[in-house]
Amino acid sequence: MTLDLTQFHEIFFEESFEALDAMEAALLKLSAGEVDAELINTIFRVAHSIKGGAATFAFNEVAGFTHVLETLLDQLRAGKRQVRPEIVDVLLRSGDAMRAMLVATQRKEVIDSTGVAKLRAELDRIMSESGSAAAPAAAASAPPGKPAASGDSAIPGWRIKFIPGPELLRNGNDPLRILRELATLGNLKVSVDAGRVPALNDLEPEVCCLRWNLEVHGEIDRAAVNAVFEWAESECELTIERVGGETAPASASAVAAPAPEAPAAPVQTPAAEATTRSANPDGGSIRVSIEKIDELLNSVGELVITQSVLSQLAAPLEGREAGELRSALAQLERHMRALQESVMRVRMLPISFVFNRFPRLVRDLGQRLGKKIELKVTGDTTELDKTVLEKIGDPLVHLVRNSIDHGIEMPDVRIAAGKTEQGTISLLAYHKGGNVIVEVSDDGGGLRKDKILKKALERGLVTNEVDLSEERILNLIFAPGFSTADVVSDVSGRGVGMDVVRRNINELGGHIQIFSKEGQGSTIRIRLPLTLAILDGQLARVGKEVYVVPIVSIVETIQVTRERVNAVASGGQVFRLRDDYLPIVRLHSLFDIEPDYTDLLDGLLMIVEADGKRVGLFVDELMSQQQVVIKSLETNFKQVTGLAGATMLGDGRVALILDIPGVITRFQAAPEERGVARPQAA
Amino acid sequence: MPAAASPAPAPQTGPRGRVVLGTACTIQEAAAVRAHLLAQAALPGPYEIDGGSVDMIDTAGVQLVVAFALDCLEKGVPYKWAGRSATLEKAIELLGVGPLLEYPA
Repeated sequence: MTLDLTQFHEIFFEESFEALDAMEAALLKLSAGEVDAELINTIFRVAHSIKGGAATFAFNEVAGFTHVLETLLDQLRAGKRQVRPEIVDVLLRSGDAMRAMLVATQRKEVIDSTGVAKLRAELDRIMSESGSAAAPAAAASAPPGKPAASGDSAIPGWRIKFIPGPELLRNGNDPLRILRELATLGNLKVSVDAGRVPALNDLEPEVCCLRWNLEVHGEIDRAAVNAVFEWAESECELTIERVGGETAPASASAVAAPAPEAPAAPVQTPAAEATTRSANPDGGSIRVSIEKIDELLNSVGELVITQSVLSQLAAPLEGREAGELRSALAQLERHMRALQESVMRVRMLPISFVFNRFPRLVRDLGQRLGKKIELKVTGDTTELDKTVLEKIGDPLVHLVRNSIDHGIEMPDVRIAAGKTEQGTISLLAYHKGGNVIVEVSDDGGGLRKDKILKKALERGLVTNEVDLSEERILNLIFAPGFSTADVVSDVSGRGVGMDVVRRNINELGGHIQIFSKEGQGSTIRIRLPLTLAILDGQLARVGKEVYVVPIVSIVETIQVTRERVNAVASGGQVFRLRDDYLPIVRLHSLFDIEPDYTDLLDGLLMIVEADGKRVGLFVDELMSQQQVVIKSLETNFKQVTGLAGATMLGDGRVALILDIPGVITRFQAAPEERGVARPQAA
Repeated sequence: MPAAASPAPAPQTGPRGRVVLGTACTIQEAAAVRAHLLAQAALPGPYEIDGGSVDMIDTAGVQLVVAFALDCLEKGVPYKWAGRSATLEKAIELLGVGPLLEYPA
């Protein structure tokens, strides 16, 4: 029976991409000057694992390239070559190339062989550099291709007959590299047979017609020789036999670790052992597809609704049994909540999955623009739902690129401004209430409000008559196509970006704020929901409609008294809450429905807060609190400003879930029409 | 290079064909390198081979030069090296083709 390996392809790709992330992070640490053995080991293990997997699945180009990379890494690991910026740079690009090859393989697209070959040549060049090659001194005194020093035959070694097959070169196996690796094992004697090389006119340049008889002497493990030919052995005729050593002193043979006659086996270097260990570092964990988790979550959501139905049915029942039923239902509710939280936790991933891409971005772009930038990351273990996490990557890239390109000044400008030559970009993530806050800050030049306003006037986004607050001016950068960049580059400045960023964040149910001080820097704060699936809500009734208000947004609920309500010039009303005056938002007006009450004294005012703004939501009455499973309005109907989605209640009714920032936006959009005043900053 | 033991060919006035190996002579450039070598081989010899700029080469590249050199040997058309980069020297040495790339004096 043949095992169908294709079923493992996706897992291999996923694991390889994760491993490449780890490799890049380690390389960036090396780039920053932090050289330690474990870092190099980490990088080596990644290359080794990917090479092994790629070979297993016959992704030969990936395996072949990674093998070359691994050889260089092995030299670094063994201390035979020093880590230097040029090497780190090539290694970073090699990681990119491996990722691109894997993506192409995954999508069944053509691999950029030219680019890979160039990079491979760079790796070869580095490995062939004199002075740092790994050949032992004995080999240096008797270089390959020249007669070995006399007495070599007395030293044990291996005689190798190497006849390349017709596909060897085409599949990326280069005898030059193989011989170079062999020379690192001991004293190499090379004898070439060019008898089968045809006339130039008849030569197929991609077919190797040269053959070699080789001898490599030294105390060399057979497995090490096998390893050199590991990726070529299926494409060549290879004979490896033991030579010499019979006359060598027994004690010397004894010192030479494994018996040379040991059967060919995979190289068991310490690194290989480490790889074996690291291949299973998380012991008890398994990889589960996100689809399966979503199915599970969906089932839990349906269970929550069923439990809610049961509770509602049990509510009017009377008698001893009814009491016991309600008690059991309360217990069920507790278990349901625990189950729901457990499933939600499965979907949670640390935000480092997104943050990890930024050290490279900052390094590369900073170098390209000639800026010195330090990246500080705080709170990267903060967890977010996988769906949210996947969708914030691109907006964050926009923001960080903007900070690098527009925020951080050139070193001379910074020095002239009395700042340090090196700028700082900070990424920060933390939990606040039921949300995750992500901040992107820089200590650059900050936004120039006069410039923004001028551009906005030119583009007709605002008029001269309007006296805009600082916040409104800064928010103009979110207008479609808005850019104050003097020079349009491929980095930024085309005005495509910030509006997309805001739209993406809003689509996630999140909100974005901007703070900036000229000359001191800017901060973009993004508030994101922990999850897009489930919400703790307070049910509130307005007429026949029931709305779900996210509990995280509710500050308090109060009964209105006449003396605390004031009319404002625009025709709206405000409510005095301690030292603040809060605008009153009548939900029935906002959503055009028939309420039970229009007099504020008859209903209730829910004080809600979003993005530092508070308003009073006027509703007829409060109902119960419950967890609701969010069903997308956009998927099932269309996006409506002020509504985050819908849910099904225990009695089968559909309730609309309020998006409080959206509610505020909606009523701000036409306050005069709705008879309300602007919200107050909290 | 071994000293000449046999009568030397008639002195030449200088190379007529000049083979210039580019910075990259790998399997990626093999077709172009082969075409260049064939074009030069069509000119009357002797030839001068300049490998001083080579900084990327693999077995495919070296094999082409070997084939050119063997053709020259077969036709009795001499050639000489105008230069070899360190990368080229190392590749020649590792592949053991050094003696094949020296036209007998």
